[in-house]
Amino acid sequence: MVGLAREEALAHDEVIMDDADSDVEVSDSEDDSGEEAQATPSENAIYNKEAILEKLEDIAWPKNVDWMHKLTIEHDQGGKVDVNDDLARELAFYTQALDGTRQAFEKLQSMKVRFLRPTDYYAEMVKTDAHMHKIKGRLLSEKRRIEEAEERKKAREAKKIAKEVQAEKNKQRAKDKKEQIESVKKWRKQRQQGGFAKGNDDVPDLNFEGEEGFKQSKKKRPGVSPGDRSGGLAKRGKEGKNRRSRDAKFGHGGRKGLKKQNTAETTNDFRSYKGGESQTKKRKRS
Amino acid sequence: MAKKRKRTDAPAEAAGADKPDDSAPERPPRTLFGFTEPAPDAEAAPAEAGSAVAPFRNKEKVLITCSRRIAYRYRHLMQDILSLLPHAKKDSKVESKQSKGSALNELLELRSCSSCLFFECRKQKDLYLWMVKSPGGPSIKFLVNAVHTMEELKLTGNHLKGSRPLITFSTNFDEQPHWKLVKEMITQIFATPKDHRKAKPFHDHVFAFSIVDGHVWFRNYQISVPHNEIDKVDKGGLDKMTLIEVGPRFCLNPIKIFGGSFGGPTWYENPYYISPNQIRALEKRQKAGKYAKKVKAKVRRKMHEMENTLEPDEFAELWKGE
Repeated sequence: MVGLAREEALAHDEVIMDDADSDVEVSDSEDDSGEEAQATPSENAIYNKEAILEKLEDIAWPKNVDWMHKLTIEHDQGGKVDVNDDLARELAFYTQALDGTRQAFEKLQSMKVRFLRPTDYYAEMVKTDAHMHKIKGRLLSEKRRIEEAEERKKAREAKKIAKEVQAEKNKQRAKDKKEQIESVKKWRKQRQQGGFAKGNDDVPDLNFEGEEGFKQSKKKRPGVSPGDRSGGLAKRGKEGKNRRSRDAKFGHGGRKGLKKQNTAETTNDFRSYKGGESQTKKRKRS
Repeated sequence: MAKKRKRTDAPAEAAGADKPDDSAPERPPRTLFGFTEPAPDAEAAPAEAGSAVAPFRNKEKVLITCSRRIAYRYRHLMQDILSLLPHAKKDSKVESKQSKGSALNELLELRSCSSCLFFECRKQKDLYLWMVKSPGGPSIKFLVNAVHTMEELKLTGNHLKGSRPLITFSTNFDEQPHWKLVKEMITQIFATPKDHRKAKPFHDHVFAFSIVDGHVWFRNYQISVPHNEIDKVDKGGLDKMTLIEVGPRFCLNPIKIFGGSFGGPTWYENPYYISPNQIRALEKRQKAGKYAKKVKAKVRRKMHEMENTLEPDEFAELWKGE
């Protein structure tokens, strides 16, 4: 790589701060455009191991310093971790930290040091409470979104199944109807053939017990009690007397003929009786 | 005037150091200057515990600065690291012309800090991190990638501000000398001193440094383990321990190691390192190459046609003039 060769020229005893800033000389030939990092690009990279180790001795903390000062744990990574596989990489870091913490906790426990934070220890945390609140809000909304998606999926499935069941039922009903008509026709034919004077032996085997009998429409009006003769339409205020009377007379599903009903008022209502005229009329005739 | 130094670490050190010290003769009790009491064991013992005379005290102080024109994401990263390290001091932005070594060294001396984390941002796109040990110590320059700050809502953990971290390293730090140096510097910079003023008591978070693909990856996790007492974990507690990521996250690519602070002889160069400028230039060249290639292909085709001309087509005149 041209870049590194150029840096070498500047190297050794100078302050090297600017290498990232200066322009890269374009010297690639025409045919090798797009060359990525080679396996061992520059064999002449500097590596002064002795000096490094010497300096390490200089700056390092004394060898027998108490572990409590450093609190470091080493962990073996095992095999090679693939950088590009995010999940595997993060898992490797996680296991490293987990294993390290386990070892550290064992050590700390044996040293009888107080290392676990009690739940009522309130002190400044590294993230503010407002921020944690935001995080909580986000987690909750995510959970809600997932649940809603699940519900919607379930509803869709249920609808599909319900549709199938409904189709089945319809088919069944049509079939039954057809069968009934057929059986009536057959019976009629039989009677025709065998003469009409038979009597009622060959009552058509109308199997009433087969189905569940005559069922009134199961569609319930919401909020209507079964004993309500007006069909839930008695309570309809704020309509004005004109509207109400017209509804009752001509309206679809208006008040169901409550005009002639024996209520408390009408039994004791003798307005229409004028001294029992009708009785006298009848007596006169007969 | 009896005791010259505070013996805060003395009981811990003395407990480990039980050998009687025969080499150093005891001082005769002076009556004039107050060494009236005979030197207690703690005074004699530390001759071999830790360094020469005194017990080891971590007096590390880190200076954290950045260059001007730093991008917001990197500034937040710097602030996050500042909050993780209670023994760190933040200083104002350094002018880019001044960041040539000497000014920064003077700044370190002025603030009496023993190490420095200097965030240098170039072109508002690339972040370089310098880890420097102050008086003549080595310095390492890294390129920082994959930055995620603590502000991200996906990082849900939280821990005490200023509590001492547990630091875990992967074992490949011990394989090569330059990684050993990196490990030592990371330990010294990131480990909170034991008796620091701002350090909080418990240990509830852990750093994870690992080397993958020649890069140093950093993760910070909160430790959550169900417990009732503060100095003992319950029976099955260690198995039920979970780690929740707190952040920040970053990935360091070592570029060079220098012998002095902010300069000096180069001791190590990373052979696999390509500067971001070069990467961008390569990409642009690839894109530019597309058009050039097309033109070349056209010319080549023309040459080819000229060389091998087609025979005249027999059926060319078939439908003509009908």
